[in-house]
Amino acid sequence: MNTMKKSLLLLLPAALLLGRCNKDEQNVAPTGDNEAITTATLTLTSQTTPVQTVTATVENLNASADFSKATLLLRPNTTYTGTITLLDKTKTPTLDVSAAVKKEANEHLFVYTPAPASLLTVISTDVDTNPAPGPFPLGLATQIRTAAAGTGTLRVVLRHQPDVKNGTPTPGSSDLDITFPVVVQ
Amino acid sequence: MQKKTCLGRIVLIVSLLANLTGYAQMPCRATLTGQILDQTTREPLTGATVFVRETKTGAVADTAGYFRLERICPGSYTLDYQFVGYKSLTQPIVVGPDSLLTLPPTLLMPDNQLLQEVIVTEHRSEAQQLLQVQSSLSGVALAATRGQSLGESLKNITGLYSIQTGPTISKPVIHGLYSNRIITLNNGIRQEDQQWGTEHAPEIDQFLASLITVIKGAASIRYGSDAIGGVILVEPKAMPTKPGIGGDVNVVGATNGGMGVVSGMIEGGFSRKLTGLSWRVQGTLKRSGYVKTPNYYLDNTSYHENNFSGDLHYDHKQWNAEVFYSQFDARIGLFTGAQVGSLADLYAAISRPEPILKPGFSYNLDRPYQAIRHNLLKLRAAYRTGRGSTITATVAQQQNSRREYDLLSFSRLTNPELYLKLVTSTADLVWEHRSVKNAAGSIWSGSAGFNGITQGNVRQFLFLIPNFRNYGGGVFAIERYASDRWTLEGGLRLDYRWLRAYFLDETTNQPYNTTRHWQNTNGSLGAAYQLRPDLSLTANISTAWRAPNVADLYSNGLHQSAVAYERGNPNLQPEQAYNGNLVLAYAGKRLSGEIGLYNNRIDNYIYLKPDSVPIVRQRGAFPAYSYTQVLATFRGMDASLTYKLTNRLSMTSNNSLLYARNQTDDDFLVFVPPNRSDNRLRYELGQTGKLSNLYVQVSGLYVSRQNRVPPVTQQQENGQLIFQGDFAPPPPAYFLLGAELGFTAPVAGHTLSVILTGTNLANVAYRDYLNRFRYYADEPGRNLSLKLRLPFGTNQQ
Repeated sequence: MNTMKKSLLLLLPAALLLGRCNKDEQNVAPTGDNEAITTATLTLTSQTTPVQTVTATVENLNASADFSKATLLLRPNTTYTGTITLLDKTKTPTLDVSAAVKKEANEHLFVYTPAPASLLTVISTDVDTNPAPGPFPLGLATQIRTAAAGTGTLRVVLRHQPDVKNGTPTPGSSDLDITFPVVVQ
Repeated sequence: MQKKTCLGRIVLIVSLLANLTGYAQMPCRATLTGQILDQTTREPLTGATVFVRETKTGAVADTAGYFRLERICPGSYTLDYQFVGYKSLTQPIVVGPDSLLTLPPTLLMPDNQLLQEVIVTEHRSEAQQLLQVQSSLSGVALAATRGQSLGESLKNITGLYSIQTGPTISKPVIHGLYSNRIITLNNGIRQEDQQWGTEHAPEIDQFLASLITVIKGAASIRYGSDAIGGVILVEPKAMPTKPGIGGDVNVVGATNGGMGVVSGMIEGGFSRKLTGLSWRVQGTLKRSGYVKTPNYYLDNTSYHENNFSGDLHYDHKQWNAEVFYSQFDARIGLFTGAQVGSLADLYAAISRPEPILKPGFSYNLDRPYQAIRHNLLKLRAAYRTGRGSTITATVAQQQNSRREYDLLSFSRLTNPELYLKLVTSTADLVWEHRSVKNAAGSIWSGSAGFNGITQGNVRQFLFLIPNFRNYGGGVFAIERYASDRWTLEGGLRLDYRWLRAYFLDETTNQPYNTTRHWQNTNGSLGAAYQLRPDLSLTANISTAWRAPNVADLYSNGLHQSAVAYERGNPNLQPEQAYNGNLVLAYAGKRLSGEIGLYNNRIDNYIYLKPDSVPIVRQRGAFPAYSYTQVLATFRGMDASLTYKLTNRLSMTSNNSLLYARNQTDDDFLVFVPPNRSDNRLRYELGQTGKLSNLYVQVSGLYVSRQNRVPPVTQQQENGQLIFQGDFAPPPPAYFLLGAELGFTAPVAGHTLSVILTGTNLANVAYRDYLNRFRYYADEPGRNLSLKLRLPFGTNQQ
């Protein structure tokens, strides 16, 4: 028993040294995502008179996205100038993701895919500064032409292609992948 | 009261079994007993063999180093003593008419060339105090794995596998269980390094180990809750006892990845007034570049590791004390081809036969990568009473910091995506009572003790697991009875665990917390019976438990690398395991080996069950998983056999079979290691010119296709096809050819050890079911590695 006591005595100062109270875990840091995109707005302006402006906005993309209020109501056989705006509202001040993407144009690409394919034609009107065989399209600015009346969707994918951008969607990974309902009438 | 009756039952069973053990001595035949010890440390050499040349019989030393040979007729005999890593000894004896002949202890001298045997030996060591299925890796077998990570080197043991995340991360799997279900003891301290993550490998310098022991099966009693799958013990070489300075230098180079490793150790003992004081410093530097598959390089699979450790040991009369500090620091590159943002990316990657980016060779290590640092400080003191009991007190603190970086995003924030800091303090007090020998020669030995732990975790950036604080405490007692041919063991343990997790309400910005606690009682019973001097049967039944960890309970978020949304379940109950093992071991002159059967039943087994509704986020739809509990069973067989065709040529076959099942849903489980068979042919040339211990070996590893997987279902969601169960079918079976050549040679008065290893010699393109990156790329191709070790110094033999 004596030896037991001896050992316990030996253990005590060491335990105090090591087990000093540290309450770091009680200060909880907020969740931070370097790549969060909370809001996507697609704005289409018709190249006709009178000018028709259509916007579709999706909020809370990083949590519970609701696409039901983001339907694009378009006229048939009309050409629109399109711009996409992306925001990260989790940062203070709000981060303008589309501006950041523009700065990093050489490693990003927006891919627009209508379904059915006959519903719309989408052409990117801006390019990056990649050296030959570039420059490649970027896709923040677009020209969208509708065909005959119909309903469908427009899928917008932002591809992150660091060092591998080649003008096709294949390389890299997706930073954004959203689908807007489209009604042409 | 419950505890008392349980203990009572164990005592009753043990004493009942003990009564069965007495058996009559054959008249007119002598029994020969002896003990085999290490020459310097006088430690018992468990598993050492003694062989009687004339009668062609032998025996194996038990946990206390004792052996027993029976039915010996009077006459003259020659005994051969052998043990792995020791010089063999031959001793002539004369047996007279006495019925009992007790030989003086036999002292074996360590063989520092350590290049003699296939050293995947199965043995039981008193230090580990457990009558449980164990395998270990030491000597040449360990030396042949130098330069590999701990997880990779353990794959040489039957029943072990590893979960990989590309070629740089390898996480050990014992009998199909991994992560928090196995405990790793680094130099006696329970390693705590966010081991819940499948892409988090144990952060231990492989060069620190001179012996790696694996306990296969539940071993909660001695090592605490969680060990329902097994325990990995990483043990360094014993501290020097003689004055003088010594050490060694290890150099490893490998063709694939251009890997280079330098590891050095220098140690010494003091003389005169400081006798008993010894020290050691050790360090490892490792660099590796892009790994090459047979057809292409894997972008960014570089690896950097810098480790050091220091040890100070003092032996004085009945006291000894130790201070140990180590730091492990690694920067692990992750294959960029496996970076997927969405399910669509994943399917595109799966459908590509090869990654898009196929760079040339480089040592660059860029994003994405993991940066990990693990510090350990350990203080230990032991007191040995005059009567032979030992009390050991250990306190330790570990700090594990982990930073995980993704590709630089559009925000250009250079922060890591994930930061976790885990500080763990442990305190252990163990009392080993003196061995009590009674007149009949039977021995009682045992230990009792306390383990305490507290941890604090701090996270930043993405949410994967919350901040938390936990406390745990356990008391245990293990008692062993060894008599004649029987060894019996019983153990009991009580545990308590408390866990408080801290969260932040993102809308109100108010912190809040949740607390859970658990307690549990577990027991184990084991028996070993020596059927013949060369044949033994061991049976073991044990229970073990694991409280749900923070990831199981509270994870809530998109697991980017797994392309899955994972939801914790705060109402999970502890897992309870019932583990049975049966091992038949044979050690004949030509044939030796072990066949082990196991059955591990786990109630409330926690796993990620696919939800029926996928979740839609900024990167599209993701399959969602929730932590669920089922009854799971893991049944299998480990068989390891060696046959000496001639004195020089031997054949070894290591086979692992595993059959795991989700009994609740009558389904299979994901991520279960497929069956495999590892076969080797080894030729020992012995002395050839200036070279000693020369051997060549060829090996073939066959890993079957895992056909026992849950069915893959698919559904349409948001225009995307969503698979559940798995994303791709298991890859086909594969066969890998390997070879090894080793020898020792004198260099300037020292003995240089050389091992040349070749893996995947046929340069086969294959994928492994347990590699998380199997969707994206092949496994590494041909690799040749050269390992050199040069011991030096005045106290080295």
